Amino acid sequence: MYSPTSHPWTEGETLGHHLEQRGVSRRDFVEYCGGLCAVLGLGNLAVPRMARALQTLKRPSVIWIQLQECTGCVESVIRTSEPTIGNLILDLVSLDYSHTLMAAAGHQAEDALQSAMKQNAGKYLLVVTGSVPLADGGVYLTIGGRTAETILKEAAAGAAAVVAVGACAHWGSVQAARPNPTGAVGVSAIIKDKPVINIAGCPPIADVITATVVHFLTFGRMPATDGDGRPLFAYGARIHDQCSRRANFDAGQFVTSFDDDAARQGWCLYHVGCKGPATFSPCPIFQWNDATSWPIGAGHPCLGCTERHFWDTMTPFYGRLPDIGGFGVERSADIIGAALAVGATAGVAAHAVATGIHEARRRRSLPIVEAPGGGSSAAPPSSPPSVKE
Amino acid sequence: MSTIMAAPPKPLPRTGNYRWVSLWGVPIRVMHWAAALSIVVLAVTGLYIGKPYFMTSGEASSHFLMGWMRFLHFTAAGVVVMTAVVRVYWLFAGNRYERWRALVPVSRKNLRNLLRQARAYVLVRPEEAPPYLGHNPLQQMSYTMLYAIAAAQVVTGFALYGQYNSAGIFYRAFNWIGPLLGGIPNVRFIHHEITWVFAIYLPIHVYLSIRADVLEHNSTISSIVSGGRMVPADAKFQDD
Ligand code: SF4
Repeated sequence: MYSPTSHPWTEGETLGHHLEQRGVSRRDFVEYCGGLCAVLGLGNLAVPRMARALQTLKRPSVIWIQLQECTGCVESVIRTSEPTIGNLILDLVSLDYSHTLMAAAGHQAEDALQSAMKQNAGKYLLVVTGSVPLADGGVYLTIGGRTAETILKEAAAGAAAVVAVGACAHWGSVQAARPNPTGAVGVSAIIKDKPVINIAGCPPIADVITATVVHFLTFGRMPATDGDGRPLFAYGARIHDQCSRRANFDAGQFVTSFDDDAARQGWCLYHVGCKGPATFSPCPIFQWNDATSWPIGAGHPCLGCTERHFWDTMTPFYGRLPDIGGFGVERSADIIGAALAVGATAGVAAHAVATGIHEARRRRSLPIVEAPGGGSSAAPPSSPPSVKE
Repeated sequence: MSTIMAAPPKPLPRTGNYRWVSLWGVPIRVMHWAAALSIVVLAVTGLYIGKPYFMTSGEASSHFLMGWMRFLHFTAAGVVVMTAVVRVYWLFAGNRYERWRALVPVSRKNLRNLLRQARAYVLVRPEEAPPYLGHNPLQQMSYTMLYAIAAAQVVTGFALYGQYNSAGIFYRAFNWIGPLLGGIPNVRFIHHEITWVFAIYLPIHVYLSIRADVLEHNSTISSIVSGGRMVPADAKFQDD
């Protein structure tokens, strides 16, 4: 729909003018703003405000740096069959310095980053993908001879706010999984003096990134976040509570193996390890690849990629309970538990038999006790017991 | 001491002077049976929620099996929490067999008796067990531990329950559990395993109660219904 190269950004141009040049009609634009407001959970009244703010935007001051990562986050953002207005905005704001997208290379690229940071000092939004390796003095990632930590600290120093995009920037993702050989940490472990917003996910949904950036461009501040720094508009509810297979969950209808009849009928994936009940993400609503589908929609259990340390805590991905010891004992935890319960019952029974034998022997050797009331413990039942007060 | 030791382990005489000892107040008895019933419901429904062991077929709209399991689980959990509230209150308001002091066998005498009680169980020598009216030190210790485990179960349960609404009070109140234990899956794991502690505890508890009643004719079992025991007027007890 909108070709990414038809009209390059020119100095001093407003975003409204730029979008017009690229064939975005006013109607499309307002519609887009309406959609974003819905995504952000804002009312209709916010639409004109957002449209106005975006239209008059001069220089979208966003710098995007990529650290220890697989580029999947950027791929998630740019891989759409039809670039949306959101893509255009992201294209524009990330053009200054983005390893994957920029045309410049080498010193030229580093100079572009430096001048962008200088020009917009204190005002720009810093987007970070990838984690920061701290082990061994940060040698596991250097760009232009400088470590990731140095680059991040420098870029964050002049930023108004920091957006950590993806599980890597959030907390380190797969490289931070046990035993974390490079000492990878997320952005918020290093940047403490600035608001850091975490767009969780491996990778996150492009719409969430766009919406967060647009929220900042419109209102000059970040959307509200949860305890883990994730924007509430996207991560406020569990996958499980928005899932299209939830009816099957409640009904007690589960897939037990990936080729069974239940799988073909699209039943709930709880039994095959779905982590939707512990995962906060808007996947069921926003979906992926132009809302074509999403993991659970396609028949695969959720891996829980928006949660911290999911490589360690959400594994095994196809089992309900975590593999705590790492040697598979927990998978048989139920068998052990049941065995212990049966064992306790058996032990109890054995103890009862031993007690019985002991008592029988002891009582045989006891003298017959005369009770104070005159009766005898060996008295026939015909003599009624008299209990005195 | 030896006369004290000799008193209850043999069957009580059929006739003679007896006295009534009041042990468990109404709150404790109600709490005991309410908790017992809910714990059974919680274990059965909880194991289903953890691993749905039977399924329905046909249209999802005509069934609500997991829904009912979860409803029962949460309702029973509510009952257990109420019993816990009663129990905690009664730790301070109850008689001396019910108070918190009767749950911590820390005195020198109690510690010695704890070992003697354990020895009597292990060597199957019931007549050597020190006689108690209320809980013997081994019981005191195991019930205290059970309360602690039940508390862990309640807290982890709320942490899991709170997930359904991240703006809700349960989520806010128990959100620290997940990070503390290294993620919600670990919370789920611990919650799941504690279920087995109860499953193991149950046969032992029932057996020892029946055993005491049979061996000593001491109306242990009826005491949790009637609230007290009939004991020979002259029998001496460690906690009389
Ligand atoms: S597929 Fe997963 S998220 Fe969906 S209802 Fe089942 S357990 Fe919940």
